[in-house]
Amino acid sequence: MAELEIRGVTVKHGGITAVKDASIYAERGEIIGLIGADGAGKSSLMHAAAGVIRFEGEIVFGGTSFDSPREAERLKPKIGLMPQGIGLVLYKNLTVSEHLSFFSKIRSLKEDAALNDYKQRLLKMAGLERFTERPAGKLSGGMMQKLSLICTLIHRPSLLILDEPTTGVDPLSRLELWKILEEISESEGTVTLMSTAYMQEAEKMDRVYLFDSGTIIASGTAEELNETVKEYVYEPVACRSDRCIAAGHYTYSLDPLEAPHKEPTLEALFFINALKRGVEIPEIEVSERESEEPIPQVVMEAKGLTKRFGDFVADDHIDMELKSGEILGLLGANGAGKTTFIKMLLGLYPIDDGELVLLGRPIRSAKDRQGLKARIGYVSQHFSLYKDMTVRENLLYFASMHGIDAKKASSRIDRYAKELGFASYMDSLPTELPLGINQRFSVAAALLHEPVVLFLDEPTSGVDAIARSQFWQMLKLLKRKWGIAILITTHYMSEAEYCDRVVLLKEGRKVADDSVENLYKKHPAAKSFEEIFLHYYEDGR
Amino acid sequence: MIGTFFALVAKELIGFFRSWGLVAVVLYSFTLDIYITGAGIEMQAKNIAVGYVDETGGGMSGKILSRLHMPEFQKPVMFTSREALSRSIYNREIMVGLIFESDFEKNLKKYGRSSIDMLLDSVAATQSFQALQYLQNILLGYAHIGIPVELKIHKLFNPNATTSQFMAMAEMLSVITLLGVILTAALFVREKENGTWDIMLLMPIDPKLIILAKSFSQVLIIMGGVVIATGIVLFGVFDVPINGSIAAFFLLSFFYAFTSAGIGLFVAAVSKSMLQVAQLSILIMMPLIFLSGAWTPIHAMHPLLQKLSLISPLRYYIEGSESIFFRGTDFTDLWSYFAGVIVLGSVLYFYGFRKIGRLF
Repeated sequence: MAELEIRGVTVKHGGITAVKDASIYAERGEIIGLIGADGAGKSSLMHAAAGVIRFEGEIVFGGTSFDSPREAERLKPKIGLMPQGIGLVLYKNLTVSEHLSFFSKIRSLKEDAALNDYKQRLLKMAGLERFTERPAGKLSGGMMQKLSLICTLIHRPSLLILDEPTTGVDPLSRLELWKILEEISESEGTVTLMSTAYMQEAEKMDRVYLFDSGTIIASGTAEELNETVKEYVYEPVACRSDRCIAAGHYTYSLDPLEAPHKEPTLEALFFINALKRGVEIPEIEVSERESEEPIPQVVMEAKGLTKRFGDFVADDHIDMELKSGEILGLLGANGAGKTTFIKMLLGLYPIDDGELVLLGRPIRSAKDRQGLKARIGYVSQHFSLYKDMTVRENLLYFASMHGIDAKKASSRIDRYAKELGFASYMDSLPTELPLGINQRFSVAAALLHEPVVLFLDEPTSGVDAIARSQFWQMLKLLKRKWGIAILITTHYMSEAEYCDRVVLLKEGRKVADDSVENLYKKHPAAKSFEEIFLHYYEDGR
Repeated sequence: MIGTFFALVAKELIGFFRSWGLVAVVLYSFTLDIYITGAGIEMQAKNIAVGYVDETGGGMSGKILSRLHMPEFQKPVMFTSREALSRSIYNREIMVGLIFESDFEKNLKKYGRSSIDMLLDSVAATQSFQALQYLQNILLGYAHIGIPVELKIHKLFNPNATTSQFMAMAEMLSVITLLGVILTAALFVREKENGTWDIMLLMPIDPKLIILAKSFSQVLIIMGGVVIATGIVLFGVFDVPINGSIAAFFLLSFFYAFTSAGIGLFVAAVSKSMLQVAQLSILIMMPLIFLSGAWTPIHAMHPLLQKLSLISPLRYYIEGSESIFFRGTDFTDLWSYFAGVIVLGSVLYFYGFRKIGRLF
């Protein structure tokens, strides 16, 4: 019998089934990955395994079986759980060493030389030995996650449950987190269950389970899984049947195509699964804009933009230019200064230093912006729209705010709904929508007044693979048909592939700014963007 | 411009009616809450438990006791010893204790004067002192001191002197104040919490229009509540008279609703979360309500507080409403109340408006 066996576990949250009949097993020392979009059921299953929520089914760990949080109580000393969210388990006023002693005290560990040695070892692995006196609140996002991880490891758990420990963390810290995990599972034989938003991490895992709307659709090593879909994956070509999807750099088809095959990634499994289940994936369309207003060549020009919060410099003298007909990706880890930069451009934060020219007009005061608001579209993080109004009501409200007359507004709204594939959700509340639909509907709200520039703040976080590919398709069409400029922030380095040009931010400073092609030329050895960015991160240290 | 204004108002009203929890709170405040205050807060002596020890063996003491009856007093309970009576008062079973000493009747007959020991539980001060007054009146009736003056009392405006009518009205006015502040503040702070604040700032619309429309929508909700509360609770349940013009009352309420919305704007400007809104609202509201004369008549306050009450807009609103409902004051004679509400209201609204306007 395996060390960890999860047998037919179903988790319900107030009538809604989050996970259905999931089974997972893991041997000693294995790192098991749970992969899927937000709301696919990963967190629920991990919380069930950690014995903190109720579930149906059975979980056996190290020969001890439990089917309720009460019975799991006996196993708690053996379990370590790190919940989702950067620095969530930390106390920002406690120092690194105070954290370690706090966590060893609440675990009632014996304060002896062995514990001290172990602490030193953990600190060394995390690269935190020089920062033991620094308060957690003053650590970078990557350091916070490393500290959270070693605090979770302090009682030497034999089952380690990590909920998206690497999301939003810079690539270098992500590698270091992985090193800690690999070392611990090898030396301690710890079973690790972790979820991740990065498909590339799957390659390092002993086995991955792919989640799609509450069910496990596939499992195996990354290599095995890719093998199962290999025959369906092609170089990008147009599709002719509904058993085929063209998605960005790939085309997936159940029927053979006359095109060269391409090496698949795990994302392919989600597409193939959807095709096999006959899920209808709406084709994204965008028609020409109605307005004939000319778009200036240079939409935004920033020189030395700086934002300070007290001693902390969020953005340090950043230069940037955005041209029409261009998708500019602003990349960086959490806390790199992406959102702050966009908020400065929009006037939501005052600019502390530097010059900004928007749509040909130098911005010095709020008055300079008033006239420009009608030409700018903005989608904020987490797609904040009005939760108590339906999709249609939201869109009508935004249209009337932009002074679009009612008849024109409703025909435009109907057209967007059809083209962007959310027509069947018009009378639902935003909270009832799948994340991918919510994402496109939010963009529709920002497009109603046909802006000449679109600012998108982390629009792809947590969205499933299919919706994400539809989203990029939409942006590409907008660029081509409307010729507008698009500035998008993301912490998924792999999404750089979809941009024309990328700017990489690291701790408030710009470390790279080049077209995607040039970056590839400069780093011929790199297999993916992930690796290119790693160079810039390492150089900056 | 007008179209945008109404679109903004409509959006807030839709939002309000969709959040049934909020609707329930507002409905409760304007109906049950006012009813409970009116029916529950009883300042008059009523149903008072009386106990007595009679060492005289009846006669005069019996006559006096027979005058203590419903609704003011329960039937007096006899105790055999003073200790037993004291214990009962201590245990809160009895509120008023009377002790007729053995020489009570003898002294009365012999010297024409005597005394009764009276024990009062004065924790419920108003009620026990009213009970005392009743008893003094009863005894006075037996005293035959023969002062040739008789008091003929005419109770004006509230002939039955029922406190419930006034209490219900005062509570309604307090509810208007509290909800006006909280609803308005919540509207802005919810946008801050949900992250829609930024979206709102980026609308190509004059911020003044947004602020005005948002506060106006809440004034409408409050006015709806006022109509419900006046119709159902004040007139329907408590039979409050309406001697003046009801239109004047609604007009005064309308101005007052803007006043409390102004305070709400200020609260919204300085709060980041709904928790802060709740804390701040209570902090600001309490002195406003206490200084208004809703709970304590202004003439009974400390002179300094009396001066301070002049800057509570609720004071003018309460006095004005009282005049309209009970005194039936003419519309033209209400100007001082209108002036008080409008002047203080404009200052508060303008201040709140400026304060939140600076966030745009």
